[in-house]
Amino acid sequence: MTIAMPIRLGPAEEVLIAQLESTGAKEAADALRAKGLPNRKVEAYHYTDLKTMLRDVPGTTASADAVSAPKFQIAGAYRVLIANGVASHDGTPPNGIIVSEEEGNALNPRDDVIVGMNRGLTSSHLKVRFEGSVDPVVHLDYRLAGEAHHVATSVLIEVADGATATVVQSFSGSDAAHLGNHGTRIVLGKDAHLLHVIIDQSGMATRHFHTMEYAIDEKVQLKTLGINLGAGLSRTSIFGSFNGGGAHADFSGMNLIDARMHCDVKLDLTHAVPDTTSTELYKAVVRGDGTSAFQGRIVVAQDAQKTDAKMMSQGLMLSDEAQIFTKPELEIYADDVQCGHGATTGDLDENSLFYLMSRGIPKDEAAGILTCAFVQELLDRVEDAELNEALTGLVDEWLTSEGRA
Amino acid sequence: MTTPMLEIRDLHVRIEDEGTEILKGVNLTVPRGEVHAIMGRNGSGKSTLSYAISGREGYEITEGDVLLDGKSILDMEVDERAAAGLFLAFQYPIEIPGVATMTFLKAAMNAQRKARGEDELGTPEFMKEVRNAAAGLSIDNEMLKRALNVGFSGGEKKRAEILQMALLKPKMCILDETDSGLDIDALKVVSDGVNALRGPDRSMLVITHYQRLLNHIVPDRVHVFADGRVVESGDKDLALELESKGYAAFDGKAA
Repeated sequence: MTIAMPIRLGPAEEVLIAQLESTGAKEAADALRAKGLPNRKVEAYHYTDLKTMLRDVPGTTASADAVSAPKFQIAGAYRVLIANGVASHDGTPPNGIIVSEEEGNALNPRDDVIVGMNRGLTSSHLKVRFEGSVDPVVHLDYRLAGEAHHVATSVLIEVADGATATVVQSFSGSDAAHLGNHGTRIVLGKDAHLLHVIIDQSGMATRHFHTMEYAIDEKVQLKTLGINLGAGLSRTSIFGSFNGGGAHADFSGMNLIDARMHCDVKLDLTHAVPDTTSTELYKAVVRGDGTSAFQGRIVVAQDAQKTDAKMMSQGLMLSDEAQIFTKPELEIYADDVQCGHGATTGDLDENSLFYLMSRGIPKDEAAGILTCAFVQELLDRVEDAELNEALTGLVDEWLTSEGRA
Repeated sequence: MTTPMLEIRDLHVRIEDEGTEILKGVNLTVPRGEVHAIMGRNGSGKSTLSYAISGREGYEITEGDVLLDGKSILDMEVDERAAAGLFLAFQYPIEIPGVATMTFLKAAMNAQRKARGEDELGTPEFMKEVRNAAAGLSIDNEMLKRALNVGFSGGEKKRAEILQMALLKPKMCILDETDSGLDIDALKVVSDGVNALRGPDRSMLVITHYQRLLNHIVPDRVHVFADGRVVESGDKDLALELESKGYAAFDGKAA
């Protein structure tokens, strides 16, 4: 016999439950009441104990302040502004891009409190569909303006069979204690090509949650790059499923973390069918007393023969107080597969630093050059010249900033 | 009497982590425009000397002084010593993935110019300087496009070191075992590159344990190094004597 102990709910949980109930999301409210926010005993949240880290939750009503200036811009991109959760876009979309508002939430239900809240708080989603070879980058520019509030967004990105697209999602806003809960489902048709870049530049006081779901069909070519350099607390959950043979995906990300930041990326990929390949490369650079976590899990289903999956996480600690957690996991049920994982964490290489300094380069500049080199291979994956330039600028700006003490 | 380019006075150095004293009172003077060679067995402290002069962390100077062009450099950082005109050609140049060779060269040249209060070099001037210097060392564009020292052969790495030396125009060059890992042809290219950089305002200290290199880079003086100090000095013939008699004749130890 097991005795169910009642969960002690904190003020943040009480507010979240009330908010869910007020939108009629009884199921999500009940689930939260029964389980509470996950603490570190919940494996998926081991490095991000929401029970202690999410202490307060702002109201769901946004103030009427004007939207802040854009923080990230890409020359020639087609931009959809999502201000405090409300989408608006400039003029008629270019050929091959269909933007519409649809009923329901884009994410699938799953046993995850952030997903439950996202589904509970949004009853419609923005759908962006790509048909044919779409040239301009589509930039979903999310901004949380004004005073602190709790916003949930839901987006479906659909790349039709044989279509090619580049999508950038960027998150920024006022430096208020916002709670942003963003959901994105990405559905890739047969032979679809997608480059998906996700940038978080939220204010330091902001709590940022983003759940992504990739459905990957036959012969898809997918590249992702997540760049996290904002938000005091951020959690990104990526779920991916290979559902058709001949598909290949390169998942990647970099966490550029300053003092007092906590950034957690969790990746959960399933190679469900035979003959699919993937690489996963996640890097973290941490300054001050910042914390970066990466949990990566690759599941190879029993009949998913010929899967080739290589996961790597690399951390660079630029201070004595920096913390990096990394946990790679492989779950392999097939017998004819090539899978591997690796993880490295350390500080800057003394020999390299000495070499650069011996040529007259001051220590800080030498450290900057080596840090830049550490993340360079991820930027090199972005072939679009304008997007590459914008991302390089973003990373350079972080590297040359002093960092918070 | 003119100021020597490099003056090492009673230098004692120990490795911080190990606590053992490696250099036990080195005295050495390299006058302006001269090339001196230091010869010694493996483990005699030759590389420690080069690291201590360049200011590498972990090498603690417990006694003595090092003067570059009349000024003590011991309180200077590694990069400041470089900007003051010191250059160390590494025995094993470091491979740095992700840093393009050209980017590195430009950063180094401009950092030194900045430290000396000079204007930064524009891209066209920089390219011209690199092209001129590279041509004499048989360094092609393809090599310059690669990441710094990554995938370079032994010979390419040493040529790249000499290229850096040519571009940075140091007053005092220390060449640490520049001949190691080179075949005869590569040795000639590197030596010719070094010889082309000899001049009245540039001095060199060539560290080696074989006499072979000194057939190509002919020194003004040769110093024999043993157990952390200079035990014998002479002209270039000392290297030949050493080659025929062996180190044991000088340091009293069996080989």
